[in-house]
Amino acid sequence: MTAAPVALPEAPAPQGGLRRWLASPVGAQITAAVVFIGAWQLLTVIAPRVPGPAVVANFLFVEITGGPHGGIVRGQFFEHFAVTLQRFSLGLFFGFISGLLVGILIGSSSLARALLSDTVLVLLTMPAFVWAFLTTMWFGITWQAPVLTVAFSAFPFVAINVAQGVRAIAPELRNMSTAFEVGKWKQFRHLTVPAVAGYIFAGLRFAIIIGWNGILLSEWFSGQAGVGFRTRYWFDANRYRGFVGWVIVFIVFIVLVDRVILNRLQARAFRWRDQKEVDFIEIEEEQVGL
Amino acid sequence: MTDTVAESIRQDLDQGQVLRTAAGARRRRYALVVLGWLVFIGLWWLLALWVGSEARLPSPGRVFQEVLAILQEDFWAQFWASIVRVVAGFFAAVLIGTPVGLLMGRSKYWSNFLQSPVVVAGSIPGLTYAVMAFVVFGISFWGPVLAVGLIAMPYVAINVAEGMRGVDRRLVDMSTAYGRNERQVFRHVVIPSVLPFVFAGVRLSFSLAWKVGTLTEVFGSSKGIGFQIRRNYQLFNMPGVIAWVLLFVLFMLLIERFILVRLERRLFRWRQWEREA
Repeated sequence: MTAAPVALPEAPAPQGGLRRWLASPVGAQITAAVVFIGAWQLLTVIAPRVPGPAVVANFLFVEITGGPHGGIVRGQFFEHFAVTLQRFSLGLFFGFISGLLVGILIGSSSLARALLSDTVLVLLTMPAFVWAFLTTMWFGITWQAPVLTVAFSAFPFVAINVAQGVRAIAPELRNMSTAFEVGKWKQFRHLTVPAVAGYIFAGLRFAIIIGWNGILLSEWFSGQAGVGFRTRYWFDANRYRGFVGWVIVFIVFIVLVDRVILNRLQARAFRWRDQKEVDFIEIEEEQVGL
Repeated sequence: MTDTVAESIRQDLDQGQVLRTAAGARRRRYALVVLGWLVFIGLWWLLALWVGSEARLPSPGRVFQEVLAILQEDFWAQFWASIVRVVAGFFAAVLIGTPVGLLMGRSKYWSNFLQSPVVVAGSIPGLTYAVMAFVVFGISFWGPVLAVGLIAMPYVAINVAEGMRGVDRRLVDMSTAYGRNERQVFRHVVIPSVLPFVFAGVRLSFSLAWKVGTLTEVFGSSKGIGFQIRRNYQLFNMPGVIAWVLLFVLFMLLIERFILVRLERRLFRWRQWEREA
């Protein structure tokens, strides 16, 4: 009998703990995910043509393990993903290197800035699907079309960010270094690189997000393999579960790369800085200022 | 006496000199920008000569002819169709994004709750929205509206949340102390300080939203710039594709430079003192 009064005050504790957990940041995020999946499930009840979470999960399982989708079509996840990753990294490489060179040129010479900045601005305004169309008209359905679409759409973002970084190097520091006879290499290593690195990183992040959109479009319109092609394949076959499944794949990929890998890398590389985390939106704010 | 007069004249002259060099510098810069365009067109022309095929890379002159033809034909009707849709889409984005942002800016819980969905929504490739809009609406006016609304919404929400956090606590406290009720505070303190952030959200997503809007027209539309680009692509009419793209780009740059920048200055005018401080 004496045990009961002791147990009573304990009883509400787990409830309070649950409530506290639900109100915590992690709890709120998990609640959001659950609400999202619930809403999705509800949507399939209202609109029966929308594939539900379970159906899509099943599709993805079959696609990734390479099992039969019914009929003769088999899952082909890694084949298409590998093709896209190859083209993506090649295009990113070209776009990044050329953006870096032009950005340094625009940032360090006022003549180059006056001559080239409008051209870069025009390229910045071009939608990625236009590059997908143009490269297809130039090269046909080949591997060059998606690679160049990535390179062309990523290039102006890198160039503008790098140019901004080069211009942002404090002239006082540079003058002082020269006055105190700091060597050219030492200046480059300890002044130029740390000042520009953040902008280069921001440019790379933009290039990755913009380029990913570009390669999907290019493969959608004129691919015979790749993530974009496979998405379209299921779309054309009227199998919306396949379409939604692949959409989830390419969204998860870009969110993982951007928010998890690049964000962490950036935080690590720039932890010496006394500034809050540079956010995706904040970088873009700088972007528009130019 | 004559010395001081001479001194002041010299000063005036110096000032004139400074003004003249400033004007000269500006003129030089404009000249360089024009030269930049000439270099761009010149390089294009040379490249076109080297390629030597109109179907691959038409010369600037050929594209200019095409642009003139489009301007005489139905340029305004097509552009107007696109503008109406994009503006309607932005309207939807502000209508949904503002309450979401207000919620995020006001409560820690809702900020955590909505953080991931808004971030994920902000990094979804435009292709997804375009195809989704096509699936939902088919070939219709509402497809691009939906796509533009979805793509711009996270930007508006994040900016409004930022703006809510930036509302001057002391102003709110003072208004309460002087007996203003919640609605009056909202109307006269919160809204004026959040409004520029709504605009900033629209401004940030402006070019992205236009791109996705035209992409949606590529998929499901029988009008608009995106549709025209697609039609010329399917006809393999290279001069047509480039001409429409060029018109699109020029239009965007003009809006950006002359309308948005001015609007921004107007909307942020009341914060002048803050910028000067």
